[in-house]
Amino acid sequence: MAGCVLSGLNLNSQSIREMRSLLTALALSFILALAACTSETDGPEADGEPLVVYSGRKSVLVDPLVEQFTAATGIAVEVRYGSDAELLAALQEEGDASPADLFWGNTAGALSAAGEAGLLTSLPDSILSKPDSYAPSSGLWAPITVRFRVMAYDPSRVTPEFLPTSVMEIPNNEAFRGQIGWTPTYSSFQDFITAMVEIQGEEATREWIEGVKALEPKAYPSNTPMLEAMMAGEITVGLTNHYYILRVLYGSDENLGSDPPVASHHFAAGDTGNLALVTGAGLLNTSSQPDKALAFISYLLTQDAQAFAAETVREYPVVRSAAVPDYLLPFDEAAALGPEFDFERLRNLERTLDLLREQGLL
Amino acid sequence: MPVARRLHDFRWYLWGPVAFVALGVLLPLGYLVLRAFQGNASELAELVFRIRNLKLLGNTLGLAAGVLLLTSVIAFPLAWLATRTNIKGRPLVTLVGVLPLAVPGYVMAYALMASTGPSGLLSGLHLPRSSGFTGAWLALGLYTFPYLFLNLRAALLGLDPSLEDAARSLGYSNREVARRVVLPQLRPAFFAGALLIVLHVLGDFGVVSLMRFETFSYAIYLQYAAAFDRVYAAWLALMLLSMTVMILLLEMRLLRGRHFERAGTGANRHAPISTLGRYALPAYGFVGLVGMAGIVLPLSTVIYWLGRGGGQGRWGNLVNALLDSCSAALPAAFLATALALPVAYLSVRKPTRPSRVAERIAYLGYATPPLAFALALIFFTLRSAPFLYQTLGLLIVAYALHFLAEAIGPIRSALYQAPARIQEAARNLGRSPVRAFFEGTFPLLRGGIGASMTLVFLSVLKELPITFLLSPLGFRTLAMGVWSAAGESLFSIAAPYALVLILTSSAIVWLLLRDPRASRIR
Repeated sequence: MAGCVLSGLNLNSQSIREMRSLLTALALSFILALAACTSETDGPEADGEPLVVYSGRKSVLVDPLVEQFTAATGIAVEVRYGSDAELLAALQEEGDASPADLFWGNTAGALSAAGEAGLLTSLPDSILSKPDSYAPSSGLWAPITVRFRVMAYDPSRVTPEFLPTSVMEIPNNEAFRGQIGWTPTYSSFQDFITAMVEIQGEEATREWIEGVKALEPKAYPSNTPMLEAMMAGEITVGLTNHYYILRVLYGSDENLGSDPPVASHHFAAGDTGNLALVTGAGLLNTSSQPDKALAFISYLLTQDAQAFAAETVREYPVVRSAAVPDYLLPFDEAAALGPEFDFERLRNLERTLDLLREQGLL
Repeated sequence: MPVARRLHDFRWYLWGPVAFVALGVLLPLGYLVLRAFQGNASELAELVFRIRNLKLLGNTLGLAAGVLLLTSVIAFPLAWLATRTNIKGRPLVTLVGVLPLAVPGYVMAYALMASTGPSGLLSGLHLPRSSGFTGAWLALGLYTFPYLFLNLRAALLGLDPSLEDAARSLGYSNREVARRVVLPQLRPAFFAGALLIVLHVLGDFGVVSLMRFETFSYAIYLQYAAAFDRVYAAWLALMLLSMTVMILLLEMRLLRGRHFERAGTGANRHAPISTLGRYALPAYGFVGLVGMAGIVLPLSTVIYWLGRGGGQGRWGNLVNALLDSCSAALPAAFLATALALPVAYLSVRKPTRPSRVAERIAYLGYATPPLAFALALIFFTLRSAPFLYQTLGLLIVAYALHFLAEAIGPIRSALYQAPARIQEAARNLGRSPVRAFFEGTFPLLRGGIGASMTLVFLSVLKELPITFLLSPLGFRTLAMGVWSAAGESLFSIAAPYALVLILTSSAIVWLLLRDPRASRIR
C-alpha cells in the first residue's frame, strides 16, 4: 500500500501518469477492503468457531490469560475490547444478532446493568460455587477478581498510626488540610460514594463530602496522576484503589530508583472506605456455544489462573486456595476488609452523580 | 435554472458518491432520533430543559471559541513563515506545523499535566497545574492548530501573486496588501480549518475528560459510561448536532458569492518571498516555541514513560498493531478523499442548494459523537447487511464517512483557486467531462489532495471509539495499545505504541507534504 501512496504522489513530472497511479491505488485499496470483507467471513470456521469474549477489561490484563486458556484447552478465543459502557451499548444494539458469547466486565455496576438489560443468562451452580466470596445475589455473573478502595499515604511524612481507622473520620482531621488527594470524576471513586450512600445514607454522605471539601482537597482526573503528585510531594494522603499503589511499588524490574514514597493504608475491617470492587464475567443469552463460555469462566476461577492474576495484575483472587504474592493480604483477611454490602446496589449511580454535581465536583 | 440544463448537469459519478455520503451520515442521525424518543415524555422534558444543559452550552462554545483563537494565533504566522519568507529549514517549519496532529489528544493532556504544576517537569516556570478550561484549551489548541495550518499553507501556496502585484502597482503598502488582498483570499481556507477545529472541540472527549472540563461530549460519554443510559445521551448528541447545524449555516453565509480563483492568464508564478531581516530572531523563537510545546513536550513525555515501570511490553504485538492500523488508515484515507472530490467539486463548481447542503451534511458526520456513530452503524448493518458486521470493509467505510469533512476542506480550497477556464477549454476541445476534469483541474488539486489524505490518515490512526466497536475481532491498532496500557497506568507498555504511532504519522506527513511546491503547477 505504501508503494501506491508513493507512486500516487511523488511523480512530479506528468500529471496524467500521476492521476492514473492514484486511481490505481484507489482501486487497489477498494479491492483490498473487499478482500478483507470476504476473507473475514469464511476464515476462522476451519477448526471450530472461536469463543467470542467482549472485555471491558484492558487487553494488557486479559491477553495473557486468554493465551493460557487456549494453550490448556485448545479452544480458540477472540476478544473484543472496549470500555464497559461501550461494550454494553454495543451488546444492546446488536441484540439477538450479537456474535458475543461472554461479557467480562471491569465493574460490578456494568455487570448488574447487563443483567438488568436481560443480556445475561443464569450461571450453573458448578460455576457459582467456585468463588469463595463476592458472588452476586442474582447469580447472573461470576466474580473473577477483587480490588479494594484504600488510602495511599506518603510514609516519609506521616506514620500509619496517625491515619484514621475509618474513612468517615477524614473530615475531622485538621492535619490533612490541603494534603488530601481524591478523584471525584473517576468511576471507582463514584462507586465508593454510591456505597457510602447505600450504607451511611445520603445525608451522611453529603456531610462527608462537605467535610472533606472544607479541608481543601486536591482533585485529580485519575489515580495515576494523583500518585505522581504524592511522589512529588504535592499531597500526603489520597483515596485510591489498592493496585495502583502496588503497580507503583512493584511495577517493574528496573524500579523507579529508590523506594517511591507511597504506601497503602487499609481502614478497619468492614469500613466503607475499604469497599471491594468486584470484576466478573457473565454468559450472554446470545451465546451459540455456552459450553465453551462456561469452560472459560471455569478456567478463570482455577487456582492457577487466579494466582497468575494476583501475581501480574495485582488484584485479589476470589478463590481461597490461590497463592498470592506476599505484598497482598491473605485471602481471609482480605475477604473481611470490605463492608457487608450487595454489589448489585452499585448500579444506583445516577443519585451519586447528582450528589457530586450538586457539590460542584462534576 | 431551466430544467433541461439541470438534467444535463446531473451526473451519476458525481451525485452517486454524494448520495452515498448523505445516506451514510444521515442514518446515524435517524438512529439518534429513534433512541431519543424512547424515553417517556415527562422524563424527556426534564432532561432536555435542564439548567445544566445551558452550562454545558456555555462551556462548549467558550472552549471552541478559545481554541479557535489560540490556533489562529499559532497557525497564521507559522503558515506565513513556511510559505512566504526566507526562513531557513522550511520543511522543518512545515513539520512543526503538522506533526502535533500526530499526537493523540489524551497523550497531549497527560503531557501537559505531567509538566505543569508544582511537581511538574517545568516546575521552574511556576505554571499552575493545568486542568479545567485552561488545560483543555491548551491541550486542544496545541494539537488541532495543524488543521488550520495545513489549509492556510495550501492556500498561500496556491494564491495568485498577480493580484498582489496589481494591488502594489496601485500604491498599496505591503501591510495593506496583506490586509486587503491576501487575508480575504485566505477566507475559504480559514473557514475550512476553523470549522474542523470547532467541530473537533465540540466532539472531543479524551482531553476534556482528563482536564475535567464539562462539555456536551463529556456529558454524553458520562451518560453512556456512568449511567449506561442511551436516551439522555442521544438527546445531548442531538443538541450538539443542532449547534453544529447553526455553525455550518453561519459558515455557508460567510462564504456565499466569493471568487478566489486566479485572475491572470498564462503561467502562474511563485509568490514573492519576504526576507525576515530583523524579525528573524522572533520568527525562529516562535517556531521553536511551537515545536517545543506541540512536539517535544509530548514526545519527551512518551520517552519518559519508556523508562518507567509498570510491566513489560511485547514488541511482537507492536508490529501487528502497526499493520492493523495501516491496513485500515490507508484505505480510509483514499476512500475519504475519493468521496470528498465529488462533494467538494459540486459545492464549488455547481453551487446549487442541493450541492451545498450535501457538503454540509458531510460535516454533520464529523460532528456526530463517534460512539453514537458507531452504535448507529451496528444497529443498521445488523438489520440490513449482517455479513458486513465486524469486517475491515465496514470499519474503513465508517472511518471514511466520519472523517470525510477533514478531506473536504483542503480540496475545496484548492478547487476555489483552480480556474474553471482550463477545464472549459478542454471541454471545447472535445474532451469528455470526466477527462476534461482530470486534465484541466485535477493536476491543480494535488496539494489539496495530499493534505486531505494526510489529515484523514492521522485522524484514523488515533481514533478509538469507532475502532473499538466496529473493527473485526482480534483487530488491534496502535491507538488501542496506547489507550489500553496508559489507562491502567502501565506506561512503559503504552510508550512503544505511542512512539510508533507518532513516528508512522511523521513518515506519512513527510511523504505527502515533502515537496513544498506540490500544490503548484507550472
